[in-house]
Amino acid sequence: MYNILAILFKYIFIIIIYLFIFSIIRLIYLDIKGMEAISSDNRTYLKLINRTDSLPFKIKEHYSIDDSLTLGRRGDNHIVVKDPYVSKEHFQIIEDEEEYYLEDLNSANGTYLNGERIFDVMKLKDGDIIRVGKIEFLFVSRE
Amino acid sequence: MSKEIKRIILALIVFCSCFVSLIVYISYIQIFQGETLKNNSYNKRLWINEESILRGSILDRNGKTLVYSEKKGNGYIRNYLYGRLYSHVIGYSYREYGKSGLELQYNNALLNINENAAINEIKNLVAPTTEGNTIKLTVDHELQSKVRSLLKGKKGSIVAMNPNSGEIYAMVSIPDFDVSNLKEDWKEISENPNSPLLNRATQGLYPPGSTFKLITAIAALETVGLDESYDCVGSANIGGYIFKDYGENVHGQIDLKEALTKSCNTYFTEKAIQIGKDKIGTVADRFMINSKIPFDLPTKSSQFPYRENLGKTEIAASAIGQGKVLVTPLNMALIGSALGNGGQVVKPILVKEIISKDGKVLKTNSTEILAQGVDIIRANEIKDMMVEVIRSGTGTNARIKNVKVAGKTGTAENSSGKNHAWFVGFAPADNPKVAVAVVLEEEGSTGGKTAAPIARDIMLYVINNIND
Amino acid sequence: MFNKAIRGKSPRSLLFIFEVLSLFLLFVYQNTRVDRFTIMTGIGLILIISLSNYLLIKISSGDNYIFLIVTMLISIGTIMIYRIDEGLGIKQLIWLSMGILLFFMTYFFVKYIKGWQNWIYLYVGASYILFFMTFILGSRKKGAINWINLGNFSFQPAEITKLLIVFILSSYYANISKWKEIKNASYYLMGVIYSFILLLFLQRDLGMAMIFYLIFISIQFIYEEDRKLIIYNIGLLIIGGIIGYTMFDHVKIRFQAWINPWKYIDRQGYQITQSLFAIAEGGFFGKGLGLGHPYFIPEVYTDFIFSAICEEMGIFTGIGIIMLYMILVYRGFKIAISQEETFFRILALGISILFGVQSLIILGGVLKMIPLTGITLPFISYGGSSILSSFIALGILQVSSEEISLRRVQDEQRD
Repeated sequence: MYNILAILFKYIFIIIIYLFIFSIIRLIYLDIKGMEAISSDNRTYLKLINRTDSLPFKIKEHYSIDDSLTLGRRGDNHIVVKDPYVSKEHFQIIEDEEEYYLEDLNSANGTYLNGERIFDVMKLKDGDIIRVGKIEFLFVSRE
Repeated sequence: MSKEIKRIILALIVFCSCFVSLIVYISYIQIFQGETLKNNSYNKRLWINEESILRGSILDRNGKTLVYSEKKGNGYIRNYLYGRLYSHVIGYSYREYGKSGLELQYNNALLNINENAAINEIKNLVAPTTEGNTIKLTVDHELQSKVRSLLKGKKGSIVAMNPNSGEIYAMVSIPDFDVSNLKEDWKEISENPNSPLLNRATQGLYPPGSTFKLITAIAALETVGLDESYDCVGSANIGGYIFKDYGENVHGQIDLKEALTKSCNTYFTEKAIQIGKDKIGTVADRFMINSKIPFDLPTKSSQFPYRENLGKTEIAASAIGQGKVLVTPLNMALIGSALGNGGQVVKPILVKEIISKDGKVLKTNSTEILAQGVDIIRANEIKDMMVEVIRSGTGTNARIKNVKVAGKTGTAENSSGKNHAWFVGFAPADNPKVAVAVVLEEEGSTGGKTAAPIARDIMLYVINNIND
Repeated sequence: MFNKAIRGKSPRSLLFIFEVLSLFLLFVYQNTRVDRFTIMTGIGLILIISLSNYLLIKISSGDNYIFLIVTMLISIGTIMIYRIDEGLGIKQLIWLSMGILLFFMTYFFVKYIKGWQNWIYLYVGASYILFFMTFILGSRKKGAINWINLGNFSFQPAEITKLLIVFILSSYYANISKWKEIKNASYYLMGVIYSFILLLFLQRDLGMAMIFYLIFISIQFIYEEDRKLIIYNIGLLIIGGIIGYTMFDHVKIRFQAWINPWKYIDRQGYQITQSLFAIAEGGFFGKGLGLGHPYFIPEVYTDFIFSAICEEMGIFTGIGIIMLYMILVYRGFKIAISQEETFFRILALGISILFGVQSLIILGGVLKMIPLTGITLPFISYGGSSILSSFIALGILQVSSEEISLRRVQDEQRD
């Protein structure tokens, strides 16, 4: 009774194809919502390098930096990361006289700048890569 | 946003609109053109079904088999028992030549394929079709043969029907062709300048000539305050053209009844100007002229383009069924029927029933009234005039002993130089059992002389032999 | 992966389910003729697709939706082709595997070799060489001389030239300041492009000529500062169209077949009418895989594969495919907008336009919206050259979707 099977399946196929299309549209839409932040005129920001869906927690792709920005597990940080690897207060970025500085806040697992763990306050330049555990950010500072 | 980005976005919008229009277009095709496309005779899929299904038979109203299929080898072969007689009504169904006539229009019924694809699929799973349904026509085979023999040697068409129910007893169009010999004769048939493939009854457009005066007469009756009297001097100048009566007869002082009885041209041409083209046109519309008649076979609409700007001469010519007026014999038969049944234009029916292979009646086509052509009082007035036409007027050749016959003759001029001979009528006048329209194409003589006697024989036969 | 499937949100899992189900159905359809080899190839397809999707995420930080969309398209296409002819289906699988390989190779090649925007003369030269090769070695197929046969193996040079023209335009407009110094540079460019179009016309490859033209005029519309050139282009199109119609019979025939195929139903209108019958027969949900009659459709493996899909899988699937192409083009444009480097931006645009234009032209032709031209539906039609060049194009698009400045940083890190 191949006929019955084929007729049944044709409906199933169409449902699958449309679910597929809609899930892609949905993912793209979420993408766009994230992107909208970029069109704001902020000249200095942190851009997430990893793919959002490869990380098991919620995180945005783009964080603009005003005069300071903090990252940590605690809810009062600018960037909140619910990952046990991340300390309650992990690092902060401060602006001073048009320059930006990265400081590790005595985190357990360290903050890495361009591949090397930092212990002092480090001056940030455009293109630097800041890493915390699996998360990598690109520091962008356009003049 | 920079100009560049703006332009990119514009280009993107253009692309997306194109894609969207593709989606709209494909949906449009499926929804609106789907059925027509599927039934196109070049669609080979129509034939796939045939190979495994015994196509249904076609019977006349008395159950006589006219067409049937039988198994031969791996497939089926279709037998057309009366290949010529029903070449237009039933048509043919061949792989190489496609389908025509009722074989095309009732293809789904004959193969027992449901129009709804989804239902069909389910059906095919549960109980695949092996046999189609039978269709029973309203046509009476004996009458059909008789009618054809009456037309022998001539060109034209005849439609005979029941004026109350709309059932068609006979429909003949000459020249015809032999369906059972289609392969051999195809080249000849398709190249014949007389168009044997054309069903003149439903798609032949002829000037109706004086038979159209029935419409004009109705319009006259409905025109309040119209002076019905007229002094006929044999000719009349309308808008610069001189209309003459047949044989230059001078009818003298006449009224509407006499004018119709004697078919006086000048009367109607003059009165037409007073009645007005719009009034005549509106009456014509009510009798399905300018409209598509719903029917089991494809039809062409009769035409009377009264909404255009017509000059006086044109209007006058139209009133006597010339000029731009063109009608089909089917339409005239409906007009005749209406005048016989009290003014109602009935839907013509060719297929009476669809019967399943187990003998169950699946569908019956029943009588339907399409429009009220004219009110019953005026219809009867016209009927009386039509009786007089036969009794003492131009239609005396249609007289039947002991039967009151009503009718109207017509002699239509046309570009060939040889007039068409028309007759439209019904009998018995008070309780009609048959209405008939006869047109003899390019006959070269008057309707009263040649069309009326043919109509007479047909009406007599029906009265004596067909009981409903 | 499975709990995502249950949640039903991941498109990758949906794709997987789709492929498994259709494969199962096809095997039931084949019934007795299924042998081990076929099963292996089928499973091979699913594995390759899942693997590539997975790999891509690891390797590239760029967009991964475009590859996903393409894998859905190739799945639908292969299933249909396999259903019509198992042999061709398997060949298609082989082409697709090679295509995916080529995709990754192109990705690495384009990403790590620098200086693509400087080699415009190379691109132009290579294009002319390909054209002359076609003229000298070419053989006629279906009325157009656009194939070259090398022993067992035939390919369409125009598929490569298609990509070269995108490179030419990108190199030109990315370095526009340099070119502007040469007098009449934009006219030279137009001249070169039009010479290509003319050559294609002479080869009777009208569809490809149209693709070239549309890519050119789109890029020009976005990037050419001298707006009057665009007007010239449109003017030339109109003139060219009129000349083409009046002087060349084969153009006239196409137009006649488009406007009223019913009149010429057994000659030039045959293909398009059979396509329309198939589409009408399918209804919204299709007749079911294996229950239609695709062999009544001419050229069903290439130009009219879409009609066969509509007949067996329904208008809804057809609309789904159109939507997938639309999303692909949209995604490509978005990649272009996000790309800061001009050369790669125009490259991304060119390729998105290429996909868009090609799919629109063939879908429009098959539906009788525009006259029919003999080009393939990217990723779905059968055909080695088409699939390989489409995957190369996709690879280039993939590279363009990454942050180039990021790469600059990564390169500096490595130094």
